[in-house]
Amino acid sequence: MENLYPLYTTGAMSGNENYLYALVIGLVFGFILERAGFGTSNHIAPVFYFRNLRVSQVMVSAILTAATLITGSVYMGILDFNQLFIPTTYVWPYVAGGLLFGLGMVMSGWCPGTAAVGFATGKLDAAVFLAGVMVGMSIYFDQFDKIADFANSSNIGRYTIDKLVGGDIYTSLIITILLGAGLSIFMNIMKSINDKKGVYNEGFICSSRLSIDDKCYNTSVSII
Amino acid sequence: MDKQKGYWNPIVAGVVLGIALWGSFMIAGQGMGASGAFARATAQLTYLYDSAFATNAYASGYLKHGDALANWTVIQVLGIFLGGYISAAFAGRIKQSIDRGEDYPVFMRLFWAFMGGIIIAIATRLARGCTSGQALDGAATFSVGAWIFMLAAFGSGFFFSMFFKKQWKNVN
Repeated sequence: MENLYPLYTTGAMSGNENYLYALVIGLVFGFILERAGFGTSNHIAPVFYFRNLRVSQVMVSAILTAATLITGSVYMGILDFNQLFIPTTYVWPYVAGGLLFGLGMVMSGWCPGTAAVGFATGKLDAAVFLAGVMVGMSIYFDQFDKIADFANSSNIGRYTIDKLVGGDIYTSLIITILLGAGLSIFMNIMKSINDKKGVYNEGFICSSRLSIDDKCYNTSVSII
Repeated sequence: MDKQKGYWNPIVAGVVLGIALWGSFMIAGQGMGASGAFARATAQLTYLYDSAFATNAYASGYLKHGDALANWTVIQVLGIFLGGYISAAFAGRIKQSIDRGEDYPVFMRLFWAFMGGIIIAIATRLARGCTSGQALDGAATFSVGAWIFMLAAFGSGFFFSMFFKKQWKNVN
């Protein structure tokens, strides 16, 4: 059975079955996000202060796991990589979108997927965030004609790592692993610097093993 | 301590999420999504209020079949709401709260949540997705754009974090 997967795009599964599957996989995603601790903004925002690396740890390990399994499926000849939906890359709009996204995330403590989980578990700040998201969408729809030229600029298509550097899907996997490892190492270095600063500058030490309900220890050794 | 509260180790959670993401690609040919569903919900609501909205330059693509909500990602996001609820219910974590740093005023917390939502919505339209549909899905399928987005978002978050120290004081 060559290239049976993805089941939906190869026609092995109907549209209705795919909709049912969407509900099931969504349920699984929501369950995992909640178990990962992303039902509260208090577990998300600290990543930007290098106090708790939960966000980057989950993201990097999820990316590396999925990328490895996808590559393995292609290697075994069961998955047609060309049929996977990969967003088109628009270089400058992505830079601008990323910069705005980071600002919005540290400001609100949420992103759209985690806020869905937060909302479902009773977080009022998630509900207000999602109301803001819908207002923001309206503003974008309303003003789209003014920024359409920029939003659709620097389109380089379905652009994977191997197109950028040469090679094949295995090259892409290796570079993805390196990028993931690089991000992890950076985050861990920043966290260890921050942990030390926590003791000496602010008089607080907040171990990453402490969770939100635990007070940080006041070490009482702060300098002045 | 996380373990006592029923949270998974982040690395374990990430691996499980990665397996689910792979499963999604294997079956549907696409991964996790979130922001697209909120864009479609907004378009549908606006359309119900004003049918002339069907010709909107951006949202017309959503509405060409008359129902912006008949979409894979929308159904999947309904699943995320349900799955999050089920997980929290089993762990005894369904609780109304407004999470924020110590002593931070509730009104200001909600103000920033709202403003952040507006900014993130615009960001996801420019970037064609969010942490799910752009960063996770894109990076798992080797898209260069996903890394452009992710590095810009993390960099920006680190930079602007200095302005929100009080909101996240002693939050960990």
